[in-house]
This record gives sequence, C-alpha cells and structure tokens, in this order.
Amino acid sequence: MSDNARRDFLKQVGITTAATVGLSSITAKADEYKSGEVQGVLVDIGVCVGCRNCERACQVAHNLPAGDPEEYHNRDVYKEFRRPSTHSLTVVNEFENPKNKLIPYDVKYQCMHCNHPACVSACIVGAFTKNRNGAVTWDTNKCIGCRYCMVACPFQIPTFEYDKAIQPKIMKCDFCFERTKEGLLPACVANCPVEALTYGNRDELLVLAKKRIARYPDKYIQKVFGEDEVGGTSWLYIAPVDFEKLMFPTLGDKPAPGVTEAIQHGIFSYFIPPLALFGWLGGVMWLSKRKKELTESETKKEEDK
Amino acid sequence: MSELVIPKPVKHKFFTPGMVIVTLLALNGLYFLAKRFLFGMGAVTNLNNFYPWGLWIGVDVAAGVALAAGGFVTAAMGHIFHLPNMKPVIRPALLTAMLGYTFVGIGVMVDIGRWYYIWHPMIYWNGTSPLFEVGICVMTYLTVLYIEFFPIVTERFRGKVNLPNILSIFNKPIEFLFKLFDNTLGKAMFIFIIAGVVLSTLHQSSLGTLMVIAGYKMHPLWLTPIMPLLFFISAICVGIPMVLFESLIASRSFGVKPEMEVLKNIAAYVPLLLGIYLGFKLGDMAIRKSFVYLFEFNKYSIAWLIEIIFGVIIPLVMLNFKKVLNSPLWLFIAATLVVAGVLINRINTFIIAYHPLYAKVAYVPSFGEISVTVGFICLMVILYRIIVMIFPVISLPVKNEEKY
Amino acid sequence: MKRKIIFTSLLIFSLVFIIVYAKVDNNKAREQKKTQASETVTQIGNKTIVPEVPNDKKYGHAMMPVDCKTCHDCEVPTKNNPCLKACPRKEFITIYHLPEEGPTVVSLDEVKGDYGAVAFSHKVHAQMSQMSGGCETCHHYNTTGPVLKCKTCHSTTRQRADISVPDLEAAFHRQCLNCHRQWSHSTDCQSCHVLKGQNIKQVEAEKLKKFKTYSHPPLTEPKKVIFKTNHQGGDYVTFFHTEHTDNFGIACKTCHSNDNCINCHDVTLKAIDQNTPVRKTHKSFQEHHDPCSKCHVQQIENNCSFCHQDQPAEAFNHLKVTGFNLAPFHTNLMCNQCHKQPGNFKNMDKNCTSCHNNFVKGKFDHKRVGIELNETHSDLDCSDCHKNNRFDKSPDCSDCHDGYAYPKQIPGKKAKR
Repeated sequence: MSDNARRDFLKQVGITTAATVGLSSITAKADEYKSGEVQGVLVDIGVCVGCRNCERACQVAHNLPAGDPEEYHNRDVYKEFRRPSTHSLTVVNEFENPKNKLIPYDVKYQCMHCNHPACVSACIVGAFTKNRNGAVTWDTNKCIGCRYCMVACPFQIPTFEYDKAIQPKIMKCDFCFERTKEGLLPACVANCPVEALTYGNRDELLVLAKKRIARYPDKYIQKVFGEDEVGGTSWLYIAPVDFEKLMFPTLGDKPAPGVTEAIQHGIFSYFIPPLALFGWLGGVMWLSKRKKELTESETKKEEDK
Repeated sequence: MSELVIPKPVKHKFFTPGMVIVTLLALNGLYFLAKRFLFGMGAVTNLNNFYPWGLWIGVDVAAGVALAAGGFVTAAMGHIFHLPNMKPVIRPALLTAMLGYTFVGIGVMVDIGRWYYIWHPMIYWNGTSPLFEVGICVMTYLTVLYIEFFPIVTERFRGKVNLPNILSIFNKPIEFLFKLFDNTLGKAMFIFIIAGVVLSTLHQSSLGTLMVIAGYKMHPLWLTPIMPLLFFISAICVGIPMVLFESLIASRSFGVKPEMEVLKNIAAYVPLLLGIYLGFKLGDMAIRKSFVYLFEFNKYSIAWLIEIIFGVIIPLVMLNFKKVLNSPLWLFIAATLVVAGVLINRINTFIIAYHPLYAKVAYVPSFGEISVTVGFICLMVILYRIIVMIFPVISLPVKNEEKY
Repeated sequence: MKRKIIFTSLLIFSLVFIIVYAKVDNNKAREQKKTQASETVTQIGNKTIVPEVPNDKKYGHAMMPVDCKTCHDCEVPTKNNPCLKACPRKEFITIYHLPEEGPTVVSLDEVKGDYGAVAFSHKVHAQMSQMSGGCETCHHYNTTGPVLKCKTCHSTTRQRADISVPDLEAAFHRQCLNCHRQWSHSTDCQSCHVLKGQNIKQVEAEKLKKFKTYSHPPLTEPKKVIFKTNHQGGDYVTFFHTEHTDNFGIACKTCHSNDNCINCHDVTLKAIDQNTPVRKTHKSFQEHHDPCSKCHVQQIENNCSFCHQDQPAEAFNHLKVTGFNLAPFHTNLMCNQCHKQPGNFKNMDKNCTSCHNNFVKGKFDHKRVGIELNETHSDLDCSDCHKNNRFDKSPDCSDCHDGYAYPKQIPGKKAKR
C-alpha cells in the first residue's frame, strides 16, 4: 500500500475512533505499558556482522534442531531472503551496502513484541499475553490454531506448523520468557559477539539509541524503528539505511488493533447496542403484529357484513 | 393465497443424474477431508505462513455465513416486520440457514489447526477479538436456528410417533415431550426469532471487522473502517436473492411450478437494498479517495470491478424491469448474480485483497481445498434434499398434493 | 466555518506560546552560558586542555558526541569537582608511540565463551593502523602514558548497569571483525580464536617468534602517482602526493579515512596471484573521481583536462608560472601561509613586506640570507640598497659605490644560513 493510502486510512481510523468511542480505551492501555518495567532489545544494524550466532543460540534455547556451529558460518544462506519459520524463530538477512560492498547490512528479524500487540487483541481465545516485562507469549493450552494472529500481525511474525495433524503450534519468538524469568539474558543477546543486540529497559534503550545516532550522525539515519511504529515495540532498531530497504514494513504510529478495538467497543459497549436492538425489534414485532391482526379482523368484519 | 400453498414433505425420486454427480463430488471432498485430518493442513492446502487464511475461511466460512443470511432476513421480514406473503419462503430459508451454519461450523473445524479445541472460545474469552465475537455468535445462532427448526420436526411427527418393537414404549413419552415443547416453545419462539436477528446482525458485521486489523496488508480498495457495515448490508442484500435462487432450483429439480407470485413480491425489495449497499460502498470510496486504485488495472481493480458491476450494478438494473420479475429464468439469473457478487466480495476481501509483505508467490487454492469446499456444498445439497423429502419445508400448491 | 475559527485560534495560541517559551528559554540559556564559559578550559597538572567546542556553544562541551561517563566519574560533574577519570580524552594525545614500542604479541583471554583465547600480533596491526587511524583506531583517545586496560571501561560481563558502553567481548569483536570480515568475507571464529582448552601460551610463543623479526612492509609516501586512464585524449592523470600533504597541509585521514587492510589484502585474490597483493577493484566513475573532485570543485567543472592530460604532468613550478621563486626560503611553506584567502592565489605582489612586516631596519637579522652586514651597511635603511623594498631583486650598489655590483662585491661577510 502506498503512503498516501495508508495516511488516508489512518485518517479514517481517527474519524471512526473518535466517532465511535473516543480514544479513552486505547490511551489508557498505552499508559499501562509505560510503567518502566518493559524490557527491550536495541538492534544496531550498523554493528551486526551477520555471524548468525543469534540464530543458533535461539535454536538451542528453544529445543529446536540446532546443527553444527560451523554450518552457521556459511553465508550462502544470504542469497535468499528468509523469514522466521516454525523451525527458526529468528533469522538474519543480508543486504548489499552500496557504499562498501564488503560491509553488507545484516538484519536480524524476530517478533518485535509490540506495546499494543495485534495478536493479543485478535486471538479468539486470548492465547497471547503481553507480559509486564514486554514479552508477548503464546499459550499452547488455549490456542485453537485459527491463525488469526498471523493475519493480524503487522510484522508477519507468527508461524504455524501446517504439517502437524495433532497439536500444531504457533511458533514465534517469546523473548526468551523462561530465561529472563530466571534473570538470564535472552539467548540471542547473550550470544552476540559484537553486542549488536543490547538488552535493557526500553526507555533507557531509546535514550541510548538516540545518543548513538547523535554521536555518529553520518553512520545512522535519524530514526529509531520501533519507537513509534504501531504504538511502539519492545525491540528497537537503528540502521545506516532506510528501513524499507531492509524489508521493514512502513507503519504508522497508531497501534495495530486500534480501529478493530474501537469498532468492537462501539458494537459491544457494555452490551447496550445489542440489547437496544433486541428491544427495538421486539417493539416492532409487537406493533406490526397488532397492526396486522387489526387489519385482518377488520377485513373479516367487512367480509362478515 | 396462503390457503393455496402449504408446506409439505416433497415426494420425489432421490437420485437423478445431477444428484449422482453431486454425490461423487461430495465423496471426493470427503477424501481430501480425511487426508487433512490424518496428515495435517499442509498435506491438503496451499496455505503458508504468509497466507494463513485461504479458500476455506473465505468461502466455507465467510461466504457461507453471508449466503445463509436468508434465514435471518426472511425471519425479520416475516416474523418481525410482518410483511405480507413471506410465509412460503421462511421455512426453506430457515433450512438453508440451518444447513449453512452447520457447515460453517464444520468448515471452521476443518480450517482450525486444533479442531478438537473448537469449544475453547466458550471458556476462554477475548472481548477485543472480532473473531471471538463471530465464533460465539455463530455458535449461539446455530443453536437458535435448531430451536427455530424444531417446530417443523414436531409438526411432522406429532401424533405419528411410532417406533418399532421394543422402542415403542418410548412412543408416549416422546409424544408428550413434543407436545410440551410445542406448547412452551411456541410461546417463547418470538424471543428466539429476535435473538436470531440480533445475533446475525452482530456476527455478519463482525465478519467484516475481521480483516480490518490486517491494516496495510489489505488492499485499500477493500480496507475501510466501515467494512462491518458493508458486510452487514451485503448480507441483507443477499438474503432474498438466496431464497429466490434456491426456490427456483428446488422447484425445477422437483418438477414443481415456482411460486412466482411470492418470489416476485420479495424480489422487489432487492434493488432498494442493493442501491443502499452501492451507495455506502461508493460513498466510502469517495471519502477515502480509494478510487485512484481503480485505474491501476491490476488484479485488484479488475476483481473490484467484477464484484461491483456483475454482483451489484447489473442485478440492480435488471430487477427494475417487470419482465425480469415475471420470468423465472431472468429472476434466477439476477438472483444468481447477486449471490455470486457477495461470494466474490467475500473471496476478494479474504483472499485477493490480502497481500502480505513478504510473500513471494500469491496464494492460489489447491485442488484439495477446492475439493473440500465443493464437497461441502454438495453435502449441503444432499442434506437439503433429504430434509425437504422428510419434513414439511417447501410450500406446495394443494392441487399438486392430489397429483401424488 | 466553525472549524476554521477553531483552527485559526489554535494557530494564534500556539504561536504566542512558542514566542513566550522561546524567550524564557533564551534567558535560561544565557544564564547557562555564563556559568559554563569558565568551564570550557580545564587545568590538569601543567597542561591546559581546551576541549573541542561544538557549534552549539549553548551547552558547552556537554553536547559533545561523547558520553559524559567517558570522562567523568560522577553523575553531576561541577566546576570545582569535575571528578575526571584518568582516561581517556582526546586532548591527552601528545605523543604517538611507534608501533615497535608496543608489545609484539598480545593475548586476549579475558572473555570466556565458546572458543579459547586470541593471540594477535600487536606490532603488525599497529604498523598497519598507521595507514589511517593510528593507535586511536583501537585505543580510542588514550595513547599516552600507561595504556589503559580495555576492561577498565569495557565490562567483562554482558549483564551490567551501564549499557551505553559495549562490553569487553563486543568491544574486541567490533574492533577485529570490522576489518577481518572485510578481507576474509567471513566471520568464522577460528581465524582468530584457538579452540577451547587449547593452550594459548604455546600459540603466543609461536607468534612471538615469528613476529619478532617480521614487520609489515613500511608504508612509504609516494612523491607523485601517475594514473594511466582510459579517458579519450588525456590518458594521464598525475597526482602530486607530497604537494598535497606538505604544501596543502592535508592530513592523511582526509583522503585515507576509509583505508584499511582490504585495500591491499583480500583473501579472494590469493588464488589468482599470490605475488600481487594489491587489490584491483572495479570502481565506479564516482568512486574514481570523488577523491579529487570533492576539493577541486571549481577547477574541474566540465573541464577534464585539469587532471587528464596527454602526458604525465610536470609538477607545479612556482617560478615558471608566477615568476616568484620559492627557493630557497619558501619551499617548505604551506600554500595558505602566504595565500591567506582560500582559493585566491592572485593578487599577491612580490613585495616581501606585504607578508614580512619585520623587514625593517633593526628588526631583520640579515644573517639569515647568508650575508652578515658590516657596521656601515647595518646602519643603512633597507631601501637604500633594496630599491623600493624589492628584496627579490639584486641590491643596487651604484648609488654609493661606482662600479660596484652585487654579488661581485658584498656588503659584509658571508655567513651560514
């Protein structure tokens, strides 16, 4: 979609939101996530060397087949653009650096852990949770496998085990929820040799990211991806080139589930609209029935006469 | 009029050459269905991580729900607004709705990865999810539809319960139950009828809300915050044409003269509804200025033009002519166009308009997916045929009864 | 209509707000400036340090692109208590060590990971660094006195309070991989690391033995470089290297900022010809011309022949072109020492006093030109011999001495310059 169209849509969004319920419900949630507990990761694309240690660390941490460490040094995988899948929750892709072909741009992709996640909002059974530390996690005990999260996700992150007949899972980065609970760093962060991934409080990371951009104004573009995108994400990126060139979607700063939640809230605000409809239909039914009976009896009377 | 035609079980040969083909197609669908349950979704579908929803959600579920809207539209027109001449079409529409929604439920079960967890939305609630709303409403509405259909069952069997041999001891209790249900339900039926309309209003519109969250992944020709409203209006639009469509097919298949007097009357409402729908659709387009995409002449603009020209504008014009309203063939064509238009709209919304960022190739449904969808439609036809041959659904002229 | 009114009033309101706010802010800034002005010069020992002051003088050096914690220990440094760290500031750099002065081989075994330690030839790397960044490439601002241990600033653990400075593992890898991945096209671990459990001392000893005698070939500065190009008519481009460095005063880094190992070394070329380490790369038109065109903007605009000539160009000869001989006194000067206005080389007269205001009687030490004036002549005014103060021309003796002429006769005795 082009920029214009998106802007138009967002404008439209604003109108509907204001028209239906006002922004109260959404802004209230935004404050909730600014509590300072939210952790994040700052990905510095200017630093990443594309060694794929994070990929391997992720496999090991999530009990997925990891293979030989030497396999990860094979840079042929970069010939093809890859996406996270059911068997690798994070992947690194490489893009040519027009300024220096020997220092390409390497970009790690995984769940961005949105502040207002579309998956959490969309999931039919609420199998996704936005945790206090920022991690968006998935509950296998609730999931029915409807894949609406995959439709909703603006970053196209959740993946589904299509090849399984029983208990197929939704697979996505869980921000190493089990590890961080024990006070460990996420596996990818712990294993990055150049610390292209910095783990910390999201607010602090934002300050750090901006400082780094200010310090090297020639090296980075003036943007922290994830600061405002879809209402902000736990994972933040700084990069030497435009993010569109690194295959990031162009997103507005409105939370992805905003319009949908406004509509839902409009239809269901404390069940008043449905009940009102029920009452109105009941009234119409009663009135029209009376009217019909009256006309019928009249015609009968006339016939009797 | 109403004295002339009353609902009666149809007496006709079950297997005709057409029905043989239908049965074979149903069996073919069942084969792929078995494959899906034994080896997983990937074995049958072309779905992937970029296109999580395909033909089954777009047609079996979304279009299925829309095309089953005849049930609530006729119920509202006949029972709530008490419009004249609705009686003969309410029962067939109800049966279609009941069958349609049953198959929507089965379709959902086939499409979700963990079909055995289909009951989870009943205990795990997520109020922000439009899908949750659709799920709960469809479940409740399906129950309401069965309740609404129940009087037809009692009408058929009341006073005729005659179970063989040992089971005959149950004859009396069942008879009593029928009587009880008939008396109580009959009085409370208005609650269910209104509930059915309210539930339909909710989930028909929420189906439209589903794709709003996909945001930029949806083509701007379809993506609008008023998608729920458009879905709801289009569902109302398709209600009557669906009744026309199936009445005309059923009467032809059973060799009965179509009730043109009735059909003509209800068909007259369709152009008005289509006009409202078109107005909203174009008005929204004008406000959002999305018409610029129409001139790109890519698959999106062509799909949109087909949907609107063939599905809305042509039938809208056609149904203004007396000739069309009076001729079974022309009426059938107009009704089919509206039905096809809504079907295409749902396919466009759920499949064509959805273009995820990273997909390398666009989604095209696999043979297996198409087989299952076709199989379900065929199964529905078979069940419809069986039911109308057992229960008094289709209204037949009294004259015809004497013939059999 | 209503919307218009609301919009205009909002606009006016915000404008007023901005003006008021800017005034308040300006006052604040002025106060701040007063207090900060004295802080910009710091006295440490007997060295006076004037930090680089960025354009935005409002905040003093606080807006420098360096983290405060790089220099200050405490949260709020003040004038009286700057709580400065012993390291590592740019201003400390006074002495550049020679590469050979540092250790020959350094072992890095502070970081514990999947692989063993790294022993690297510090001397050779230091020699290579001279091409561009020098010691600062790795040691940042800290090159004098005792070289600080990296872990003084870079934490040995990744989970740490201050995440603004990379940890030790990251600092090492960033330094090494930046070049290594360029010339090896790989990020494999074993080109630097030994395997886990392997004894680093043994590797260290081996390397020490090898690099004690081996040095990186010295990096010599060419006098001029002649490029044979495929430009039609004007094949030769001559670049006078020493002129640019010595006379124009251009620092190496200005042109060689992106130079590193891969400009000469590239493993992929080894297979082709091991004897020619110089990399032949295909450069774009822009890449070829940028080094010159970035400075010589005006000269080469639509004028290829400024550089492209039919044969190798002669070096610029000041005497030939301008008639002013730079020899012997002006040869080692940079152009802008005389041509003070950048880009303006005309409008210079040959009159020495237009530059040399000390060419007056009593102030000028005549010995410096090789002639010590005798008593009689040292009492004379300069213009008595040097007519019209034209010091470039031979002095005129004939006014006083008939038949005398310089240099046959000299007004004193010869002296050492």
